[in-house]
Amino acid sequence: MKVLLTGATGFLGKRVLRELLSRDIEVRCAVRESSRLDCIDDIRTELGCQIEVVSVDLATEDGCHEAVSGCEVVYHLAASLDGCTSSLFQNSVVPTRELVRVASESGVRRFILVSSLGVYGPQKLPRNAIVDESCPVDEAPHLRDAYTYSKAVQEDVAWQTARENDLSLVVVRPGVIFGDERGILSHRVGLPFGGRMLRMGGRQRIPLTYVENCASGVVLAGLAAGVDGQVFNLIDDALPNGREMIRRYRRSGRQLRVIGIPQFAIPLLSWLNEKYSDWTEGQIPKVLSRHRTDAMWKPLRYSNEKAKRLLGWQPSIDIDTAITRTLSFSG
Amino acid sequence: MSERSLRIGLVGCGQIADAHLQQIRRAVGADAVAVCDSEPLLARQAAERFDVPMQFSSLNAMLREARPDVVHVTTPVHTHAPLSIKLLNAGVHVYVEKPFTVDADEARQVIDVAEQNGRLVCIGHDQLLDPEWVRVCEIVASGMLGEIHHVDSVLGYPINGPFGRHVVASPNHWVRKLPGGLIQNTVSHPLYRITEFLDDAEPSIQARWFSRLPEVPFPTELRANLQGEKVSGSLLFTSTTKPYQRVTRLYGTEAGLEVDLNTQVIRFHQSGRYPGAFAKLEAPYRQLRESCGNLKRSVGRFVRGELHYFEGMKRLFESFYESVREASFREVSSVRPPVTHQEAVRVTSIMDRIFKQCRDESGDFAFGAGQKAAEEKFSPARSTGEDRSRETPAELVGQGHL
Repeated sequence: MKVLLTGATGFLGKRVLRELLSRDIEVRCAVRESSRLDCIDDIRTELGCQIEVVSVDLATEDGCHEAVSGCEVVYHLAASLDGCTSSLFQNSVVPTRELVRVASESGVRRFILVSSLGVYGPQKLPRNAIVDESCPVDEAPHLRDAYTYSKAVQEDVAWQTARENDLSLVVVRPGVIFGDERGILSHRVGLPFGGRMLRMGGRQRIPLTYVENCASGVVLAGLAAGVDGQVFNLIDDALPNGREMIRRYRRSGRQLRVIGIPQFAIPLLSWLNEKYSDWTEGQIPKVLSRHRTDAMWKPLRYSNEKAKRLLGWQPSIDIDTAITRTLSFSG
Repeated sequence: MSERSLRIGLVGCGQIADAHLQQIRRAVGADAVAVCDSEPLLARQAAERFDVPMQFSSLNAMLREARPDVVHVTTPVHTHAPLSIKLLNAGVHVYVEKPFTVDADEARQVIDVAEQNGRLVCIGHDQLLDPEWVRVCEIVASGMLGEIHHVDSVLGYPINGPFGRHVVASPNHWVRKLPGGLIQNTVSHPLYRITEFLDDAEPSIQARWFSRLPEVPFPTELRANLQGEKVSGSLLFTSTTKPYQRVTRLYGTEAGLEVDLNTQVIRFHQSGRYPGAFAKLEAPYRQLRESCGNLKRSVGRFVRGELHYFEGMKRLFESFYESVREASFREVSSVRPPVTHQEAVRVTSIMDRIFKQCRDESGDFAFGAGQKAAEEKFSPARSTGEDRSRETPAELVGQGHL
């Protein structure tokens, strides 16, 4: 079986590439012209196997055809992480629409889209509710941050295009992916502010997934039988809370100055932020709008049961070991 | 037209469109009614985030259905002229994001078409209406600085920012195909802060560009000196120094000043009143008082919610919209838009001369041989997808603009 992998030079992509190759799957990597290929070369040398690399622009039909032709399965991981909203749309959403459409014309058997746990809209869920795959997606993703908005529309466009073109789509929604070069502290723990971290709440569970666990789940989504049209959360077991994350971070010898924002104060801060932003016509943006804070820092529980049951996935590296490994690398 | 809000359309939903839509929303007497981009997903994100009621992927459809009074053009630069001409011929007034056009020939064409149609064009020289810059102009007009003899203008460009990184990583990015490349896309800001005081049509120019970043295969630095009959100017465009400044220094016969548009602070340079060692005490004391005054002013503006990065843009919009209202009941030729048509052409022409001199001096080191690449890029004979808008002006819309 030959598969197409986009985003192979990225943080998750290179682990997915390694996982695919370890299963003796033939892989074609679609990369941008400007991508550095060192990591692909390293994997090729280390595993001693063939990796086909094509430099294409996935926002164009020709580029997609060149990437997809002859592949049975597409793993679409490529996405921009930063930049303005229009740039994220151009680099993530538009290529996804084109690639799904061309894949359907090219006889692809299954298309795996790596989305994000952020696309859920848990604003209306009660505290400590379980976020599983039946939870609705955010109805107003444009009120979230640019990245989450782009991922929500990316997924929406992928579903719509796949339906229109009768393509089998499987969507995986990883939590916050951490590991070596990305560290363990994310915005789910707190926000950077003037050299300090504003710890948001602290007792709510952080939906983490270690990059290697996540990679194995992504690969299984392309291999498991009978999961066409399904969505899977990829989140590790025994999730720590923000306070524990910060404690682990400091225990590794790193400095971090923290200002704790208690959970009960978050709605008040959000209200103040929104009012002040409206009153000053945006002198300070609505970083802490209620819509965002409810999605990011409300205490919730996260389920990975469906991925375990239907994909046969297990986060084989436990969270403690994963955090230790990550902190020993960087942080 | 004077009784109702102006209907504003916007074409080109890239990065700078965000700033336009934010400031249109703040501007008095105007409503953003439609956005347009050849890529429907880009039009969608702009409409959703800024509550714009209509979105289009066809400019003709937007003109027909939204019936805008003014259209903002925020597309890539090479589409500014043909798009503006189409819009002016359709009877709408046009606000064009800087840089105005690819070159002065195009600028003259746009202005000619505007005047033939009795419509107004405004170029996005928005820092001219920045509150601190307006204050500087009032100080100069008061005579406090005497006659202005020299202007230093600095722009620090964040080449590692999202847009800069994208340009560096994309050999075919439209910015790299401009005659002045990355520099052309942004240099009008520090330039018009000089030409505000240097009113010669054709000042003498000494300019060169280069790159200090080995991984960047095009010029990222510009040094230019302009010499007019009464005023000289020096322009520094740099991508390697921090902080990224938007600073202008004025040198007058009585005193000087420095205005930092990022921090919204003005500092004066004055001769001391005391002799010798006393002067060494007087200067820091004066700076302390000045800093206290600046802090008090900034705190007041913060509390009143007046510290907006694009405040000048909002004020320029409002001023242009006022000109558009005037044009509805007066002879257009008697209406003076906030940036005149002549000024738009003059600044573009000076930019042309700066880039020509840089290209002539640097030979092949430049944007794929600069003009040659630009000519190839803009040739109607080319038939790449990227140029489809050029071949079918009716649907000229674009994406991804800083």
